[in-house]
Amino acid sequence: MTAALLAQGLVIGLVNGILYVLVALGLTLIYGIVHIVNFAHGEVYMLGAMGIYVLHVAAGWPLPLAMAAVLAASWAAGVAVERAFFRPLRGQWLQLVVASVGISLIAQSLSWVIFGAQEKYVPSYLPGVVQAFGVRIQLERLLAAGVALALVAGLYALVHRTRLGMAMRAIEEDEETARMLGVDSDRVASTTVGLGFLLAALGGALVAPIYSINPGMGLETILMSFIIVIIGGLGSITGTVLAGLLIGILQSIGALAFGAEAATILVFGAMIVVLILRPQGLMGRA
Amino acid sequence: MNAARLVVALVLALLPLLTPTYAQHVAIVVLINAAYTVGVYFMLRMGYLTLGHAGYIALGAYTAALVSTRLGWSPWIGIALAPLVAGAAGWGLGSLTMRLRGIYFSLSVFAFGEIVNATFRAVPALGGPAGVAGLPRPAFAGIALESHLAYYYLVLAAALACGTFLYRLQGTRFGFALLTLRTADEERLAQSIGIDTPRYKAWAFAACCAAAGLMGAVHAHYLRFVGPSIFTFLYSTDLVVFAMVGGLGSFAGPLIGAAVLTALGEQLFSVGYYKSLVYAVILIAIILALPGGLLSLPQRLRRAR
Repeated sequence: MTAALLAQGLVIGLVNGILYVLVALGLTLIYGIVHIVNFAHGEVYMLGAMGIYVLHVAAGWPLPLAMAAVLAASWAAGVAVERAFFRPLRGQWLQLVVASVGISLIAQSLSWVIFGAQEKYVPSYLPGVVQAFGVRIQLERLLAAGVALALVAGLYALVHRTRLGMAMRAIEEDEETARMLGVDSDRVASTTVGLGFLLAALGGALVAPIYSINPGMGLETILMSFIIVIIGGLGSITGTVLAGLLIGILQSIGALAFGAEAATILVFGAMIVVLILRPQGLMGRA
Repeated sequence: MNAARLVVALVLALLPLLTPTYAQHVAIVVLINAAYTVGVYFMLRMGYLTLGHAGYIALGAYTAALVSTRLGWSPWIGIALAPLVAGAAGWGLGSLTMRLRGIYFSLSVFAFGEIVNATFRAVPALGGPAGVAGLPRPAFAGIALESHLAYYYLVLAAALACGTFLYRLQGTRFGFALLTLRTADEERLAQSIGIDTPRYKAWAFAACCAAAGLMGAVHAHYLRFVGPSIFTFLYSTDLVVFAMVGGLGSFAGPLIGAAVLTALGEQLFSVGYYKSLVYAVILIAIILALPGGLLSLPQRLRRAR
């Protein structure tokens, strides 16, 4: 592999990685507060992309309006799911996880029925290609990565600098004590799930013009997100960011060297290595 | 209770003789799914959710397929090897993840199921996207089990083997030790009296995967075909749905869940998406409204009256 190709793989990997981080961070946040891994997360991502197609391409809404509608809808969906399923089942982790699998199945099978299996395409938000140091990259991907990076930074600030973030960390540390000290844990939980859903939908909306869209696209994303939270350590924001970038790079360089499917296997291999050497994840607490 | 068991045994043994071929097919699929679901149920009882069981089933099925078509060996050798391969894979991932919280296990097994499928799809020597076709049916006492009726009895034998194995395992010291692992506190208690709980859990998972591998091999020879489109995430979730809908209260739960939903699925829906939609709606309804599953329905009705 030449140096130029390696550099190309590295850049694409970083861009993909930060987008993975956006989706996986929602998972980690929700896990910290509601103590479940949300299997429906990939479907939210898929519906984010699908929503842009339906509103922007099929119905002809201007992009900002479509984007705002998708984000508002995903937030509302998150709050609704928390109220209807996660709250009544709190404390029963098995039922919670299985319920999220059920929600994911409903969302995905309904999408196959409604949207069909035909691949859908969204025209470019920002056409053009930049070239520097022998690396070519679509402006689109840079835009998506820039937005994702800003959001990840914003999220970090939210968790560490705001009252809401303090409440989230308090609940994660010890929910009972937090409640006694007056933290409204129900409200924090629904806000967190809403936020997680919004991030996943935004991830989907950002990549809508980059990939073709179909109802099955959530599965690969959720697979990568799960591997990322295992490698990074569940509940750790820094670990998720680190693992997301790592996996993005590993996958894209692996794909250049051995092909896309072999790259997925390579990523799984990385997960196994981490499980052997550092089972709690790079930044996880044991 | 013994009379009820006798009736069930007689029905299982004799009913296919009296029914049309299509009903025999449904009975075969029900038995196959019931055997898989028992393994999923076994893990759920311990508090471990396996969302990649199809990956272990696929290991068994592909072992059988490759042994009988590529090597040209007797199907029985493949059927004998399949549980070893699947069991070893289960033991491996189990030993890595059972020291961690349960959710790590669920996520890793999910990832494993997807990767197994991706590997079979990616490697041409393992069949690639098209899979492996042309599996022979095994022969018993010189008779190839070609008809649905003859194959039904092989499937019945395999299902009984898987079911009895895991049922008996529950009654051993090992099985009782496993039931102490449902909460973190109980697990710490078990560890304090010297039970190496992660090792126990890894072996339990290996046993469930071995059962899945055995039935996977029998399944493959029934279909005469294996391919990446069969052993998908949706298959894994179906099994979890069967177990949860049937109820985790006793061994009858996964059997009832698998039987009712498989028969329903085979009868009503030809399009996969509608099937998983209906399964998922039933699942959510059961979780929210009838936490004990179908198993608890008679009791619930009695109390309501």
